[in-house]
Amino acid sequence: MTTDWNAAAEELNAIVASFDQGEVTVDELFAKLERATQIIESLEERLTATKAKVEELAPRIAKVAEGD
Amino acid sequence: MVEDVTTGETILEVAQFYELVTAHLESAFGRRHSMWVRGEVAKTFEKGHLYLDLVDAGSASADAKRPVLNAHCWTSVWGPLKRKLAADGVAIKPGVVVNVYGYVDVYAPQGKIGFTITAVDLEGMLGDVARRRAELIARLGAEGLLETNKSRALSPVPLRVGLVASPGTEGFSDFTGQLLSSGYSFDVQLVTTLVQGDQAPAQIVRAIAALDEQGLDVIALVRGGGSKGDLACFDDEGVARAIAAARTPVWTGIGHTGDESVADLVAHTRAITPTKLGEELVARVSQWDQRNLRLPAQRLVVGLEAVLDEATQFVGERRRTMIFAVRDRLRAEQRHLGAVRERLWLQSRHLLDAATISLATTRQLLAAYDPARRLAQGWSIATRADGSTLRSLADVEVGEELTLRVSDGRLGTVITSKNGDSA
Repeated sequence: MTTDWNAAAEELNAIVASFDQGEVTVDELFAKLERATQIIESLEERLTATKAKVEELAPRIAKVAEGD
Repeated sequence: MVEDVTTGETILEVAQFYELVTAHLESAFGRRHSMWVRGEVAKTFEKGHLYLDLVDAGSASADAKRPVLNAHCWTSVWGPLKRKLAADGVAIKPGVVVNVYGYVDVYAPQGKIGFTITAVDLEGMLGDVARRRAELIARLGAEGLLETNKSRALSPVPLRVGLVASPGTEGFSDFTGQLLSSGYSFDVQLVTTLVQGDQAPAQIVRAIAALDEQGLDVIALVRGGGSKGDLACFDDEGVARAIAAARTPVWTGIGHTGDESVADLVAHTRAITPTKLGEELVARVSQWDQRNLRLPAQRLVVGLEAVLDEATQFVGERRRTMIFAVRDRLRAEQRHLGAVRERLWLQSRHLLDAATISLATTRQLLAAYDPARRLAQGWSIATRADGSTLRSLADVEVGEELTLRVSDGRLGTVITSKNGDSA
């Protein structure tokens, strides 16, 4: 799995674009779907982990922002 | 009173002498003939009453022959007069030139002619104070000292504060109260001084110099409101020069309703009260806090949410897009396969039908050539002894036996002659 979010997002966009343009054959469909699923799940995992970290830090930043 | 027996002149007793002199002085310079006298205060002594020696202004103290007027102001007059003088910021002290109103009296026990003061020319004294103050300001201005401390760089977040004040006074409480209630961690270094009276200027000068050595962010000089006399120490030249000389910005919060003090004019920043000064200091820190901490933090919070929202939306949209794209693609394939299947079915049906028809036709054709059918129509088949079918005259000889097959059996026959079709 690509570690860079933008690179992963670009690869996912390319897969979606190939579907939009009707370039995907039945033989390729499963492989592309499997790859897209891997990317989406990886991005979601990273997003969830990032959100958890943000949830932890945000109240501390908010305290500064609110001047407590 | 006695009479000189030789001369016949009157001889006075001492007391009688003073009574006479006093009577003459009073008749010419007494209460009913009060007058103004101008003199420089040479020395004073106060013990309920005020005693002062007046000399001609500018006369040398070393001159033993300079005239001295022993004046005094009784408590009944001096009490209220002293309060008035203090309120206006002037004092009767050595060096001050003063116009006093009163009358001559004689103090017989010490053989002194004195002057009882019943009034003092306050307007004149105040005018003199104002003149000296204006001269001081002009002098400081000419030396550039009014702007010197203002040019000192002020820390963007002045939390280390040197404080010149008198603890327990309202001014001190008002100022420190603002810092304490701000929630910011001000580090206050206090140097206690008097903030009024003759001793105050020297103490304030030393305090400013001491705090200036500590490398603080700002020095605050505070004092609550008071009369002109109370605030006179802040018009002191030494205080003004100490402020100007300080490398640390000096902020003044000296309560006043009239003219600003000279200290205010020389200071880096001035406020009309200690409370206002505290507020300005807190506001300065608060501005830095807002600009450098709170606003960036707020932007960070908003930015975080935006990035996460965008990322969440991106992944969600791609997930839905993939699901629909794959489903559409599979459906398209299914439709294509269905169409092919249908086409193949129709074509197969067509081929089968065609084959069936062809087969029936062939069957009919074959039926037309069926030997049994021909035999039934009257035809017969001749075969030789070896089983071969007779096809031509040349295949047999006269006399040869043949077998004839008809529809319902066989016949034995002998060839008796051969004749061609042309015969």
